[in-house]
Amino acid sequence: MDALTETQSARGQDTLPTRPVTVLVAALGGEGGGVMADWLVAAANAQGFPVQSTSIPGVAQRTGATTYYLEIFPASRDRLNGRSPVLALTPNPGNIDVMVASELIEAGRAMQNGYVSPDRTVLIASTHRVYAIGEKSAMGDGRFDWNRLVEAAHQLAKQPVLFDMAALAQEAGTVINAVLFGAMVGAGALPLSRQACVEAIERTGKGTAASLRGFEAGYNRARGTDKLTAPVDGKLNRGRPVERVRAQFPAETHRIVEEGVARLIDYQDIAYADTYLDRLGPVLAADRDGGGGPGGHRLTNETARHLALWMSYEDLVRVADLKSRASRFVRVRTETGAKPDQPVAVTEFLKPGVEEFCSILPPALAHPILAWARQSGRSFHVGLHVRTSTVTGFLLMRGLARLRALRRRSSRFLDEQALIERWLGAIRRAATQDLPLALEVAECARLIKGYGDTHKRGTENFNAIFAALVDDHAGLATGARAAAIRACRLAALADPEGQALAKSLAQI
Amino acid sequence: MERSFAQEVQLLKLGDGEVFHGEGILAVTKALLQAGVSYVGGYQGAPVSHMMDVLNDARDIMDELGIHVETNASEAGAAAMLGASINYPLRGAVTWKSTVGTNVASDALSNLASAGVKGGALIVIGEDYGEGASIIQERSHAFAMKSQIWLLDPRPNLPTIVNMVEQGFELSEASNSPVMLELRIRACHVHGSFPTKANRAPPISRRHLIENPDFDYSRICLPPATYAQEKQKIEVRWPAAVDFIRKRKLNENFPGDADDVGIIVQGGMYNVTLRALQQLGLADAFGQTRIPIYVLNVTYPLIPDEVSAFCAGKRAVLIVEEGQPNYIEEAAHAILRRADVQTRLHGKDVLPMAGEYTGEVVLTGVAKFIAAAAPKGVDTDAVAAAFSQLTGSKARAAELLGAPMPTRPPGFCIGCPERPVFTAMKLVERDVGKLHISCDIGCHTFSTLPPFNMGNTVLGYGLGLASNAAVNPMFARRTLTVMGDGGFWHNGLTSGVANAVFNKDDGILVIMKNGYTSATGIQAIPSSVNQSDHRSPDMSIERALDGIGVKWVKSIYTYKIGTMVTALKEALTTSYKGLKVIIADAECQLARQRRIRPQIARDLAAGKRVVRTRYGIDDDVCTGDHSCIRLSGCPSLTIKPNPDPLRTDPVATVNEGCVGCGLCGEVAHAAVLCPSFYRADIVQNPTLWDRLIDRVRRSVIGWFQGAPAPSTSTWTR
Repeated sequence: MDALTETQSARGQDTLPTRPVTVLVAALGGEGGGVMADWLVAAANAQGFPVQSTSIPGVAQRTGATTYYLEIFPASRDRLNGRSPVLALTPNPGNIDVMVASELIEAGRAMQNGYVSPDRTVLIASTHRVYAIGEKSAMGDGRFDWNRLVEAAHQLAKQPVLFDMAALAQEAGTVINAVLFGAMVGAGALPLSRQACVEAIERTGKGTAASLRGFEAGYNRARGTDKLTAPVDGKLNRGRPVERVRAQFPAETHRIVEEGVARLIDYQDIAYADTYLDRLGPVLAADRDGGGGPGGHRLTNETARHLALWMSYEDLVRVADLKSRASRFVRVRTETGAKPDQPVAVTEFLKPGVEEFCSILPPALAHPILAWARQSGRSFHVGLHVRTSTVTGFLLMRGLARLRALRRRSSRFLDEQALIERWLGAIRRAATQDLPLALEVAECARLIKGYGDTHKRGTENFNAIFAALVDDHAGLATGARAAAIRACRLAALADPEGQALAKSLAQI
Repeated sequence: MERSFAQEVQLLKLGDGEVFHGEGILAVTKALLQAGVSYVGGYQGAPVSHMMDVLNDARDIMDELGIHVETNASEAGAAAMLGASINYPLRGAVTWKSTVGTNVASDALSNLASAGVKGGALIVIGEDYGEGASIIQERSHAFAMKSQIWLLDPRPNLPTIVNMVEQGFELSEASNSPVMLELRIRACHVHGSFPTKANRAPPISRRHLIENPDFDYSRICLPPATYAQEKQKIEVRWPAAVDFIRKRKLNENFPGDADDVGIIVQGGMYNVTLRALQQLGLADAFGQTRIPIYVLNVTYPLIPDEVSAFCAGKRAVLIVEEGQPNYIEEAAHAILRRADVQTRLHGKDVLPMAGEYTGEVVLTGVAKFIAAAAPKGVDTDAVAAAFSQLTGSKARAAELLGAPMPTRPPGFCIGCPERPVFTAMKLVERDVGKLHISCDIGCHTFSTLPPFNMGNTVLGYGLGLASNAAVNPMFARRTLTVMGDGGFWHNGLTSGVANAVFNKDDGILVIMKNGYTSATGIQAIPSSVNQSDHRSPDMSIERALDGIGVKWVKSIYTYKIGTMVTALKEALTTSYKGLKVIIADAECQLARQRRIRPQIARDLAAGKRVVRTRYGIDDDVCTGDHSCIRLSGCPSLTIKPNPDPLRTDPVATVNEGCVGCGLCGEVAHAAVLCPSFYRADIVQNPTLWDRLIDRVRRSVIGWFQGAPAPSTSTWTR
């Protein structure tokens, strides 16, 4: 069992490679990483190369990240005179030839761990995102910066091979492992022949045709010189040129303002859109007077964005309207992958409470009912499973949508308009002092969104920040006040229990 | 089982001179057959679950050889089964995850080691330590030391591992002591090859039965025999083991030219150490090293004269020993002192005391050692330069990325039946305030991670309820315990339920009855519905509870959130004094999907009407608050860029992985979240009636949708 005798007997063969080719695969559960490792092992075996693979599935098989590590010694066994290379079971920093990541954050993690080195690593990574739980559960936008990851990959890898492999896999009707494998071979990253790799897939026997399609797609794409483009934003723009906007507002605000106009006509009527522009005019004037023009009228743009959203607040009428549209029926069929001849039954989960009902009643009726409900200390909700795909269910939704005509006289409408005016007034006042401060005040509108408790919580947070920092200068200079508003706004989005906000407010 | 090993089982049939290509833990299984075992058993747990799965899938081979296969109900059962080798010359092997499994087994192990064995007794332990581990971080080494069980830690390549299995049985018989074979996670999953030998039919087996029982008082663990056994361990068995290890050269020496220093490694740490040397320019790809290496394929007992001979004449020696306490390093110090060898020992001074010895850790430790020891003829500056070159890109990456990557803690699978139970608990907590929850081992322990972050303690498998015993009486509000059905049968029935009933505890126990030990790869348990022919199909949790005297039991289908919330509230407030058990009943979704998918495919192909259910979110109704995600955490409930040009926060979306369990819709309802969720039932292979109704509905609805909207807007979507 003494290895020395083995190694010494074959000294002097200079042509042998001095180290194995190392492949580290970072994948997520259910992406076929294990099968891909098997393909690599089979292809290496077919070429007579010593090969070893290992993995860390552990609890990670349940939705977490999993890694596979392979070493291939790129010389056939018959050249080794019975010697065996010592192959490692753990990846070492600075020692990875091929880094494979099935998703972009996993590529980031590989870089973070030192597995991507500029002098030798070919980085094969899919640019699509599978969001981590922390990114998903954030109350606002918790996503990691996509561009930063891609930029780092280009800086750190010797050869970055980046494209959306999940999309390619879906096109080919297969799993991402086949595309990754194809990309590795296409990029020339492996000491394995294309033939051996194809045969390795063929020997699997299961889903072979689809895997080969995916392999082919990945292979071709990796050989091509396509420039990586940022993912399309997928925004559904509805804005059309509007004369009044063109006449009164500067060009860089047209996109947002016209979008707002379109939204409010869709939400209520043309008069309501006119109100929107009436409200925006003074903000634009303040923005201009404050010198915001050269900066692209940021205050106007941001106020326009939030104002349009706020004025089109979500109520029962709006939801019923959105859910009963023809375009929505088409979207459901597309999203669920239903074929044209397959009936689709759609069930909505609605649970309006006494607040929602009162919001469409005039104040004279709504206020006493709400007062009574509050006094009783109970919550009243009606659980509805409405089947919009049936005629009666659809007509119910359509009927609710028709209540739009009554909206202007509803208690909720009046409450929202009052709060909007308060907000706009604060923006205008702040703009006379300092534009960045006004921008922070405008941004507070993002706290108000959603339904039921979410909406209530957001409004409470908005009011708390206004009371502490907007209505009152709290003895702070404008710069410090802007910073404090910003800090409180971020804190309000940190946890649903409001602990972070309470802490931030206490610090003022 | 999560995986079928029908193909791998064929590898177990390989004969003389053939080559096995496969996973480490399967190679061990093959080695057991080559060594002529009479019986095998164990308890599932990563990283050795596959061994149990393969044994169960290979029943025909086992029957042919007359080997008895036992699916032990716990590690204690498995260890006790080795008792067959005390009186009879039977080779037997069992496996489990360590150290937790060894903890459970330790009562039987102490007795086994004291009595001593006639037939070789081998315990294959999957050392669940470091990256990918799911348990407390401890070493199995201590168990070997306290009971004098010999500990093998082979170099992690298949020929060495297989050889050590065979040598292990001989060592066990030569020294009348049980032997542990320690395999780390990566070694269990390593894919390699080794030349095979034919399987050996054991001389005593289910086919060749024992006729007369053996009685030998000295084998019984009761005084005065136990005193004699302890002496025998020290005076006879230990020296016999040391002799055997020395004679068979189980530990290996790899010389090198820079021999004024050296490295002593655990066998399992050999490859990572050699790779570090190679990266620093001190070894080649074939293991030719400049620094001499002494490899401990047996880490307990140490062979004192081998250790002192290796160290003699060296200025400094590095000991690469993973985990703590550093038993080997401490023992080596004592050995050198006794032999009056003045070599300076390094170990935990250049390597970390705690944590896995990954590539990076060992590379750093070896580089520090080389810098400190300065071996003769080695250019230490070149080594230092190589080291900083290798590790440089990590700092650069941190700079470029700006922030650490978001982590991916494990969580419940898509459609998991356990998720709704914790959602219900969260909703109950909203009303009654925070609850103390004693957790147990199993998939349900993921409740302690985001997004639920629920659960206060984890004390061991099946011990959740017992760990709650002194908590409940200290609270004005009742406390909760969560236990899986795996834990219930492993230990929970006796240590938990019987204990609670006996002591008239007033707590609440939620049993997750998903039908399997799902976390370890979906193995069958006594109450599994679909049992193979080798196991009793007639065991039930409900009847066990009834028999033991639990009066308050409610069985609830887990996806009914509202019902679950009501039951939990009732359990918290009822005037009934005594243990209250809620059985959260629904099959593991992974197992269920595996069962129903082929059936659905067959039905579809046969043209039968099949309704597929999926959930979705209207992205124009969703405002991007993500409460639904915080209350569910389903992997198929995720986010996507907001298609609304005025909004920036991403919207929630249900991806194509959805299995239609319905939790998200139920949550939106039960928690009054938002109206964005919808359920779509897609009728595949619709009947004539389906089509007719659909046509009528679509044309009536289409007619209304075609009618002009009240506001005469031209900008509707």
